[in-house]
Amino acid sequence: MTALLVLKGIDTFYGPVQVHFGLGMEVRQGQIVCLLGGNASGKSTTMKIILGLLRPRAGSIFFEAHDLAALSTPQIIRAGIGSVPEARRLFSAMTVRENLLMGAFARSDRAEIARDLERMLELFPRVRQRLTSRAGTLSGGEQQMVAMARALMGRPKLICMDEPTMGLSPLFVDRVLELIQAVNKEGVTIFMVEQNASLALAIAHYAYVLQAGRIILQGEAKDLARDPRIRAAYLGGETEPAA
Amino acid sequence: MGSWLDYTINGLIIGNIYALVAVGLALIFGVSNLINFAQGSVYAVGAYIGWTCFTYLHTPLAVTALIVVVACAGLGVAIERIGLRPLAGAARIAPLLATIGISLVLDQLLQIVFTPDPRALTSPLPNWRISVGGGTIGALDLLIAATGIVSAAVLYGFLRFTKLGWAVRATAQDRDAARQMGVNTDAVNMTVFAIASALGGLSGLLVGMYFNHIDPAMGFQATLKGVVAQVIGGMGNVPGAIFGSLLLGLTESYGVAIFGSSYRNLFSFALLLLILVLRPNGLFASARSTPPEPMTGSFVTPNRPVRVPRWAIVAAVVIAAAVPLIPAIPYVLQVLTNAWLFAMLAISLTLVAGTLGQISLGHASLLLIGAYASALFALDSHWPVWASIPAAGIVTALLGTALIAPSFRLRSHYVSIATLGIGEIVGLVILNWESLTRGPMGVTNIPPLQVGNIELDNPRAAYWITLGILVLLAMMQTRLLRSHLGRIFRAIRDDDVAARAHGISLGRYKAIAFAFGGFAAGISGGIAAHQYSYINNETFTSTVSISALTMVILGGMGNVLGAILGAVALTALPEMFRGTAEYRMLIYGVALLLLVRFRPQGILGTT
Ligand SMILES: Nc1ncnc2c1ncn2[C@@H]1O[C@H](COP(=O)(O)OP(=O)(O)OP(=O)(O)O)[C@@H](O)[C@H]1O
Ligand SMILES: [Mg+2]
Repeated sequence: MTALLVLKGIDTFYGPVQVHFGLGMEVRQGQIVCLLGGNASGKSTTMKIILGLLRPRAGSIFFEAHDLAALSTPQIIRAGIGSVPEARRLFSAMTVRENLLMGAFARSDRAEIARDLERMLELFPRVRQRLTSRAGTLSGGEQQMVAMARALMGRPKLICMDEPTMGLSPLFVDRVLELIQAVNKEGVTIFMVEQNASLALAIAHYAYVLQAGRIILQGEAKDLARDPRIRAAYLGGETEPAA
Repeated sequence: MGSWLDYTINGLIIGNIYALVAVGLALIFGVSNLINFAQGSVYAVGAYIGWTCFTYLHTPLAVTALIVVVACAGLGVAIERIGLRPLAGAARIAPLLATIGISLVLDQLLQIVFTPDPRALTSPLPNWRISVGGGTIGALDLLIAATGIVSAAVLYGFLRFTKLGWAVRATAQDRDAARQMGVNTDAVNMTVFAIASALGGLSGLLVGMYFNHIDPAMGFQATLKGVVAQVIGGMGNVPGAIFGSLLLGLTESYGVAIFGSSYRNLFSFALLLLILVLRPNGLFASARSTPPEPMTGSFVTPNRPVRVPRWAIVAAVVIAAAVPLIPAIPYVLQVLTNAWLFAMLAISLTLVAGTLGQISLGHASLLLIGAYASALFALDSHWPVWASIPAAGIVTALLGTALIAPSFRLRSHYVSIATLGIGEIVGLVILNWESLTRGPMGVTNIPPLQVGNIELDNPRAAYWITLGILVLLAMMQTRLLRSHLGRIFRAIRDDDVAARAHGISLGRYKAIAFAFGGFAAGISGGIAAHQYSYINNETFTSTVSISALTMVILGGMGNVLGAILGAVALTALPEMFRGTAEYRMLIYGVALLLLVRFRPQGILGTT
């Protein structure tokens, strides 16, 4: 399996404040890779630098043969990365349908887009009923579905998801995780950020643990799920953080 | 005109014209949270391009309109590309100041190229009018109405059915999310500026034809009206802007019908303040909540102010005090006295805008209040000048604070709009309150500066008095800034939410700062009145407000010494190079643009 996305030696700053310290990571083709970490550990910032919304001060990011440092965000999207941002970030005054079509903004194959839209509605039947509603009126769970469908509409090779289960009821969380697996089975590589380690490790192939801007642990998801340090930090047990 | 129907038609036509300006402002605000103060200047440019086409090229109206639209769209693209895009990532108020700078430059260029004199822009349309009910409608009325409707329809179609239109809407709702869908938001910005400028230019052409009158200063009022219309409809709301424009047009037209034409603008700005105070989100927003304002904080970039040693300040004051002893020409003294007066205004503004973070765009109105107060105390109440000037300072402090107080809960952009509106209102009230202010005649024969029976009518005495008062005010303000109060002001500027959470009553401290600033500005206006011996409602206009802001930014926001330095630099230097007088606002505009771009902390740094 080849690496689709490779981050090496990343240092990121907000003004004088350093968030990443030599961050390095690989996302392999066809896998679900998960980045775990507590609040303010720098997970969302990792998303931002992959998507080009923020530039690291040092290090390199490669997606296939693309050097992402040289590309703007729209170019990165066109290169084949889809994004499900933290807190969904739907276009709340636009209809659900318009939101989905915005996901295909970088494409121009009209007939194919219409086919994909139909495919999304099969994959997310709940979304079909709300197609003409304003996105802002949807429930959190429904919005998450729309956000995922919107990202898929771009036919990405890799989808980056920032806390897809945040704020959802347990039932919806299961549904979202199933959908992520289903999407992955269709060949889309998934890179997701999560705080909820047990849920994420249940569906992931590989995982990294981020703490205060450094990767402190990585491995196959099934190994990490049994790792005592992970259990201590994320799966209940002692409150002492890992490392 | 006479019938109500006529006034209604007139109101709707004017409203249509405002709408063309306001829609552009709304698009730009929607996409980039920016009030484009250059919008009115583009409108004026449009009018002049139209005039040039009619006069020299003899093009028919349709061709002329096309040229105006294309040229103004190009100008809009240039404004965005050259003036604003480099500011991405700068403080959020920086682009707003840049558009003010661009507007100064464009207005002055028009003046240089076409002379300041107004010109006739005669409509080539046939001159028939048809009677409808009790009123009449002419060809131009119909053209303006049709332009408004067609533009709205085209814009609607664009936003609804084109890919770029979708990109514009998505960017307006969530810029980062739009980029994550692959939208090139830079291209969106450019598109929006092109559309706004094209509509603005078209509006200028139509207005010029409607009134058969254009002049290089016409843009500023247009920007103001567009902003008012936008506030009524809700900032960034495109249909709201159209509605607000029509409402504004009708309000003005009926106001003129009842009270006379000098009340036109008073009605617009009264409406503006009413909306800002009661419904800052516009008429369509449901709640009385404060506006969503992504742009908190201020222009003050965190940096260390330049430390000027005490002895250097003392030496500078001594040298300044010694200037009249050199047998210099009285002209130099006059220029410097004027600079000291401006410096008082600048330290007042630097307190409010720099230290407290409330970017006031109407500060010149404090000068007006002070000038009128002192002049009227002296003339009508026969007070001695040494009493009328301090009294003017107190009146200005109280009145200025009372005027701004209802808007204390507004933030950033909205504060700027409110102060702009208040500034206009003060001038208009002075113009219309004839029994007190003598109206458009102005106040004449104001007694010169004097203490007891000693007339200080010579340039030297005036110079020393002004300098002395300036030094006093500056020392007081420096002490204020070092005190507990100064720290609270800065806390409010840096994070008003946190300040309030710490139990700081924002209203009270804003009142204190505005009162202190009002006092200094009122004194300055008072002295000026006695020096000029004649004042009217246009002695200090919004141009003075913008000049003062430029001085403050040049010196470093919040920096007392910087404000004085900025005032001297921008008042005295242009005078020294004689020929530059007519380029003065051009210099201010370019200075503002360069500062915002390359040295936002000013010469001496922000504090
Ligand atoms: N725009 C910003 N400006 C300054 N600092 C920021 C900004 N965004 C995030 N930070 C800081 O960077 C650090 C990492 O933030 P980040 O959002 O990446 O954390 P996170 O791991 O996603 O946390 P959470 O689980 O709460 O979403 C935090 O300390 C945060 O305060
Ligand atoms: Mg996060």
